[in-house]
Amino acid sequence: MHKSGLPHDGHSAGEIDPSDEVTCQQLVELVTDYVEGALQPRTMNHVEEHLVVCDFCVTYVEQMRATIATLKGLEKHGSPEPPASALAALQARRAAGA
Amino acid sequence: MPAEHAIAGAPAAESDEQIVAALRAGDERTFRELFARSYPMMKRVARAYVASDAVAEEIVQDTWMAIVTGIERFEGRSALGTWMFSILTNQAKTHSARERRALPFSSVAPAGIEQPAVDPDRFQKDDEAWPGHWATPPRPWQKPERRLLSLEARDRLRQALAELPDRQRLIVGLRDVDGHSSEEVCDLLGISQENQRVLLHRGRSRLRAILDEYLEGSDA
Repeated sequence: MHKSGLPHDGHSAGEIDPSDEVTCQQLVELVTDYVEGALQPRTMNHVEEHLVVCDFCVTYVEQMRATIATLKGLEKHGSPEPPASALAALQARRAAGA
Repeated sequence: MPAEHAIAGAPAAESDEQIVAALRAGDERTFRELFARSYPMMKRVARAYVASDAVAEEIVQDTWMAIVTGIERFEGRSALGTWMFSILTNQAKTHSARERRALPFSSVAPAGIEQPAVDPDRFQKDDEAWPGHWATPPRPWQKPERRLLSLEARDRLRQALAELPDRQRLIVGLRDVDGHSSEEVCDLLGISQENQRVLLHRGRSRLRAILDEYLEGSDA
């Protein structure tokens, strides 16, 4: 795996070679797994070590968190009246059971 | 005795068995509560398969009819919600086949193969001093807490969400906008946690970049 490349092991997107540190370019791909708590412990350690020393990545993660926070409740949902056909089918059941 | 009286006063959190029994007896109150509770998520899922809100609503209405008429056949081998959503996705697939659109979950590429979260040019290359580290770092957003509360910022994000690819829009909508857990989403859609995270990652990355451009005025 190249130091500057992306993790290419498809089934363990949250893992990196434990002998490497995390680069910024890798971190921006790991950030979702990080925020979701889905990283392997070793990778999590590498990410947190990186965030101690890299203000730019701290900024990036903060921006990601702010994006997620702004999404919360962004769309409000109501629900319409249920379909008349379904209500009629229910009524037929009640009539049959009465 | 009408079934409604047996169900009246039941606690809000009814078990699958109670709900199924009520529906089989034709209990309208239970049906209406289930309908209202499930509708937003069902609409979102249906909308990921088809081109318009109107068609998505039609799919959801058809699904509810199928649920009511099919409830006798529900055997309880899966959770009620899982069964309901498999009916929904069947209906959606039929509709989308008529529209000749690709099925949203027919393939999800492994992580790292599609568009990266950030333009690779923003990072130092292998022949530079610190390969993989920021070349053009993100600029901190000025007063983000206040500015992200503005109607304009929220409108911009809403628009960006609507423009995401279908699957990303669906997952970000379910997880981040509506607050469903990853377990719930994966169970109901029949996708793996990793697939769900890949879509969430791509969607969130794109939205962050759009907000960055909106707030700071250039692409990042």
